[in-house]
Amino acid sequence: MSSASYPPPPPFYRLYKNYSQDPNSAPSPPPPIEGSYICFGATHTTDNVLPSLEEQGVRQLYPKGPNVDYKKELRSLVGELLLHLLELADILIQRPSQFARRVEEISTVFKNMHHLLNSMRPHQARATLIHIMELQIQRRKEAVEDIKRRRGESQKLLNESLAALDGN
Amino acid sequence: MDIISQLQEQVNLMAQLTFNTIGTLQRDAPPNRLSPNYPEPPPHPTEDGANFAEQAKQMSTALVKAAKQFDALVEALPISEGDEEAQVKRIAELQAENDIIGQELQKQLEAAEKELNQVRELFSQASDNCLNLKKPE
Repeated sequence: MSSASYPPPPPFYRLYKNYSQDPNSAPSPPPPIEGSYICFGATHTTDNVLPSLEEQGVRQLYPKGPNVDYKKELRSLVGELLLHLLELADILIQRPSQFARRVEEISTVFKNMHHLLNSMRPHQARATLIHIMELQIQRRKEAVEDIKRRRGESQKLLNESLAALDGN
Repeated sequence: MDIISQLQEQVNLMAQLTFNTIGTLQRDAPPNRLSPNYPEPPPHPTEDGANFAEQAKQMSTALVKAAKQFDALVEALPISEGDEEAQVKRIAELQAENDIIGQELQKQLEAAEKELNQVRELFSQASDNCLNLKKPE
């Protein structure tokens, strides 16, 4: 049975023959890609912004605008969800053929909830960054104090040993 | 797990319970009496009846409990209104403070290294003198 051999490695290695003697003789790495790129036949983008609900074709139930009160909107969304559930149960009893619209409304509510939660992530990222920076500042302050203290102690030790030797 | 992930898990759980509830009710509901003319349809001998009402109650309590837990998690959110500029400002302040402290740390470190090198050199001189049994000048 014949098995196909692996493809050969890309031929760029020849360009790096003299790398150990002269690091500048070889080409530098390619710069990072910006915008959209194609990988394995699919298009990806490097722009990591959360697509708004309209772009996904879903109606947005909470008010848009620069400042959204997340807690209030989440609470009202949960209330709407339970309301829609009851409506669905009622309509299944009375007019069971009209369930589709209710089910669609329930899934809209869920999509809104997830979108709202996802839009909280940048805020969380900034809060995490603030926390990390505060910890780092505190560690650096402690290190500075530590070094000062040790230098003082070593100075004292040297003076004492000098006095001891001079007395000799 | 951080609170936003917990909230997301809770939303997924509620979606699961919702669709389980509706699906189970729709599948297992005993036949309903259509009109007062026809007699009551014969009860199905398998697990319907009391079991069904029990199941419906359990599922709805589970759903309401999940919704209540979601509300509790929402209450615990440490978030306040319109904070993006305040956060960015705080990050800039912290960065400036971090730079200052970093420079101070660097200075202290260099001074300490210099002293260390001095002490090392003096020590090596003193030990050389001792080993060569020469009196220090």
